[in-house]
Order: sequence, then C-alpha cells, then structure tokens
Amino acid sequence: MARVLTEARTVPPMSQRRKDIRRHLLIYAGLLPFLIIAVFPIYWMLITAFKQDPDLYRMDHIPFWFNMKPTLRNFDILFNQTNYGAWLLNTFTISAWVSAITLLTAVPAGYALARLKLPGAENTGIAIFLTYLVPPIILFLPLSRIVAELGLQDSWWSLVVVYPTFTIPFCTWLLMGFFKTVPMEIEEAARVDGCGQAGAFLRVILPISLPGVLTSVIFAFTLSMQDFLYGLAFVSPGDQKPVPVGVPTELIRGDVYYWGSLMGAALLVGLPVAVLYNFFLDRFIQGITGGIGK
Amino acid sequence: MTGSSLHGGPDPMARAAVVSVPARSVARPWVSHNTRRMMFGYTLLAPAALYVMLLVAAPFLFSLYLAVSDASVGDPVAHFVGLENFRAAVEMDLFWLALRNSVVFFVVAAVLKSLLGTSLAFLLLQNFKGKKLIRGLVVIPFTLPIAISVLSWKWMYDSQFSVINWVLSRLGLIGQFGSEGWPVWLGDPKLALAACILVNVWRTFPFSAIVLLAGFTSVPVEVLDAAKVDGCTFFQRFRHVVAPMIFPILMIGFLFDTVFTLSDLSVVYLLTQGGPANATKILPVLAYQIGIQAGNLGRGAAIALFLVPLLLPALILVLRNIKRREW
Repeated sequence: MARVLTEARTVPPMSQRRKDIRRHLLIYAGLLPFLIIAVFPIYWMLITAFKQDPDLYRMDHIPFWFNMKPTLRNFDILFNQTNYGAWLLNTFTISAWVSAITLLTAVPAGYALARLKLPGAENTGIAIFLTYLVPPIILFLPLSRIVAELGLQDSWWSLVVVYPTFTIPFCTWLLMGFFKTVPMEIEEAARVDGCGQAGAFLRVILPISLPGVLTSVIFAFTLSMQDFLYGLAFVSPGDQKPVPVGVPTELIRGDVYYWGSLMGAALLVGLPVAVLYNFFLDRFIQGITGGIGK
Repeated sequence: MTGSSLHGGPDPMARAAVVSVPARSVARPWVSHNTRRMMFGYTLLAPAALYVMLLVAAPFLFSLYLAVSDASVGDPVAHFVGLENFRAAVEMDLFWLALRNSVVFFVVAAVLKSLLGTSLAFLLLQNFKGKKLIRGLVVIPFTLPIAISVLSWKWMYDSQFSVINWVLSRLGLIGQFGSEGWPVWLGDPKLALAACILVNVWRTFPFSAIVLLAGFTSVPVEVLDAAKVDGCTFFQRFRHVVAPMIFPILMIGFLFDTVFTLSDLSVVYLLTQGGPANATKILPVLAYQIGIQAGNLGRGAAIALFLVPLLLPALILVLRNIKRREW
C-alpha cells in the first residue's frame, strides 16, 4: 500500500539500510503521540483496577506505577458486594438472544436481497441499511411506550427486543455483501443436482458463507455492547442491567467513587469486546462505506 | 404447485415434474418459475423487513405523533396539541443553548478528529515493522464500548486526583491543587464542554483514520502507475486521481460520524449530565431529561426531532453516495 503515495526509489544498497532505519525511526516517532493518546486511558484503567484505595489518592508519588502492593480487592468488592455477576449474565444472555434474532432474520433477508433478483432488491437493501442510521435518541421515546405496552419495562428482555433494531439493518447489509461473493455457479450446480431453492440455500450457500454468518454474530454482540441510551432509558432495576449500563449508573453513588472497582468492572468486559471488534474493524468500515461485495 | 406435485395428483405433467428434474423447467412456464422464486425471496425477506418496519419505521412515525401530543409517562391518554411542543421548545432558552452547544461540539470535534485522523492515516499508510500491532492498539478507543471508556476519562478528569493535572503540574504548566490555576475539568463551565469534546475526539479519530485508509487502499495501483507514466507529479496524482476516488468513502465516513456525534448522549451524560450551569447541555441530553426524567414524552420527542433537520443532509448524501458506488 505504501506505493500509493510514496515512491519506491532506487538507491544504492549500502545507504538503503540506513535510509530504511531512519525512515522507521521517523514513522515510530510520528506514531508515538497517537499511541500514547489512544492507549493511556486504557492503561490508566488497568492500573487503577489493581491499586489499593489509598494508593489512588497520593499526589506526592508518581501515579503511573504501584506505590503500594497490587491488590485484587477491587474485584472482590465487585463480585461480592455489587450486582456485577448479574450484569455479566444479563449481558451475555441479551447478546445471545440478540444474535439469534439477528441471524434468523438477517441471514435469509441478506440472501434474498443478494441472490434472488427480487425487483427493487438494491433499493430495499439500502432502505434497510439506512434504518441503521436512525439514531436511538429519536427512537427511544416512542420505543419506551412500545416496551411498556409489551410489559417489558424494567426487564432486560426489553433490550432483547430493541437491540435488533440496529443489528438487523447492519448485519443484513453485511450479509448481502457476503452472499454476493459466492459464485453463482455453485448454486446452479446445486440446483442441477436436485436441490430445491431452499435446499440450495440451506445446504450449499449457508455452509460456504459461515465466516460471514459468524462475523454477523460478532457484530450483533459488539454493537449491542456499544449501546447506552436504551439500557439507561428502559431498565432501571439494579439487577436487570447489562454491564455497560450497570457499571456507570449503579457503581457511582452520590459523590462516592470506588474507582478501583469501577475500572475493573469496565475493563473486564470492555477489553475482550475491544479486542474482538478490533479483528473485525475492517469489515465494519467496508460495511458502512458500501464496498463490501467487491 | 409443488404441493400438488408432491401429492401425486392426476395431472401427468405434475407427475413428470417429480420424477425428473430437467422436465420441470420444460413443464413450467417462465412466469411461474419467476413467481416461485419471488415468493421464496419475499418470504425470506419478510422477518427482517417486518422487524425494521415495526420497531424502527413505526416508532419514528410514532415519535412524530408524540411530538404533536401532550403524552406523558404518567398519563396514558394523549391529546393532540398541534405544534405546541415545538413552540414551547423554541421558547425555552435552554433549547437554544443546547442547540448551540450541539453545533459547537460537533464542529470543533469534526475539525480536530479530521486533523488527527488524516495525520494518523498518512503514517499508517507507510510500510513499517509492527504495523498490524500498532494499528490494533491505535484503534482501541473506537472499539471499546463508549460507556466504559468514558468512565476512564471521568477518573482522569477527577477534580483533585486527575492524572492530567498531575502531569501538567509536574511540568510546571499549572499550579498546585487548590491554587487558582488548578483546572477542574468537569466542574468549570469554561472547561466542561472542551473536556467532553476531547473524549469524543479521542474516541473517533481512529475511525477517521481507518476510513481514510480504506479510501486510499481502494485506489488501484495501476491507475496511479498510469498517471505516473503520463508524467503527473505527486501532488497532481493526489489532486486529480486519489482525491476524487476516495471522496465518496470519506463523505460516507464523515456523515456516519455526523449522525453518531450529534445524536450521542453517553459521553456528556456520563461526564457531566449537561452541567455545570448547563455548559454541556446538548440536544440529546435535553431530550432525555425532558422526555424520561421529567416524563414529558411529547416535549422530549419534539426536541429529539429537532435533530432531524441537522441529520437529514447527512442521510441524503449517504444515500446518494452508496447508490453511486454500486458494488
């Protein structure tokens, strides 16, 4: 990719090495500030989570490392004196349900839009995708009424119903791209071999597209974790919240902050999600910039 | 039709269809084959389409209805009040303050994140060792769930034990704790909005960088080589070849960010709840506080809908760009 904007110059081999080293140093020097800005808040959470409480409030020592022995007490508090265990369970149960709903709806829809030459498929696909862009801040008030009508207010089930409103549009769009990349011949061969329309889809296309389906599960999970507003608006009992909502709303009481436990609670879920999302970030970008099926 | 063939009706044609596959396509006219495919297609499409219609399109229309009603959390019976909610919103000083804050927030953040994002993208465009790892680390702010990373900032902005202030103080840029020059990031009306903007920039500059990178990588090397052969300089190549080709992608990235930044409540809500002295009150926070906390659904919906004219140009442009790019 470097070729796009920089030119590969022809230089004698002797100075080539030194030039290369200098170039590397320059690039690293340029990247260093970005790295510090990006990673420091996470490092700060990490070290705070393992610090003893008095160690957090000493201004005279360098705060970037432990001045007292590291401790697991913050996590002990988290699991034994708060609802954290329940939030973890809620988070995973919600994600599992949302993933299931998303797959059951988005996989067939993506396939139909990409493959079956339906009239207006292209525009329908775009229309579904655009609903992903309707922000929760516009939808949360009417949805709160709907949630109440369904009798789901104050239960994490309300989030199971609501989260697919953004995972279905995104994953349908993503899967459309995947299904378009499967060669038409494979499907035709399946049909010639006696598979019906549904058979070709279930037995041939779906197994080939498994990576795409798994990617959708990852997104159903990570996108659900990015929500804060719906959780805040629909679920108020302390034991019903998912982690991203429970931690900031329940662990901060008045002016008393348990920073160590707060940071531990946040990281324990945040880091795995961040790492997972990291691996699929390019897919996400491709998805939203519309270049998926290339 | 499939049903009748499976039941082995008296129609010899239908029997033939069961026995031999090639015969089926001969036996059935094109129209019915097409119809069957379309029926199958719409059946597959229906669940997703219904979900989106019932829980996105319908609520959106419902929010229009709420905005012209006096619906409240306690009172299930709503009456039509016309544009009363909009009028009341426009007459609130707080509304104008929130609108102003939203616009300032958005514009300042957009400028900063495009500057940072562009520089980062150019660095990541180079070939160097450890690129994958460094890229993975730099994008963490964007991949971390927002409500979680904001907590880290809340701790870094602590009024007394802020690590930012510790560094500034050691560098001699500010005085000791308790002195005049000690910044209270979230408690000082002059600093609070800037502090919130910084968090948004921190979270989204990697996104800008990655979108830009995606743009650059979409330019085929052959095209650049051709331009080079034709005698274009670096800047000519950039200006006339790269820029026009990456423009649509940049546009979409920018517009996505517009939607997410303008409608995001979590950063401000978790850091300051709109305070101090409404210095960080932005439209989403105001809509939430009036709609849910004060229970005035109609007024809240009206305020949230004021975001639509701000977002609409973005939506239209996304639509046009997606269409033009095809696949």
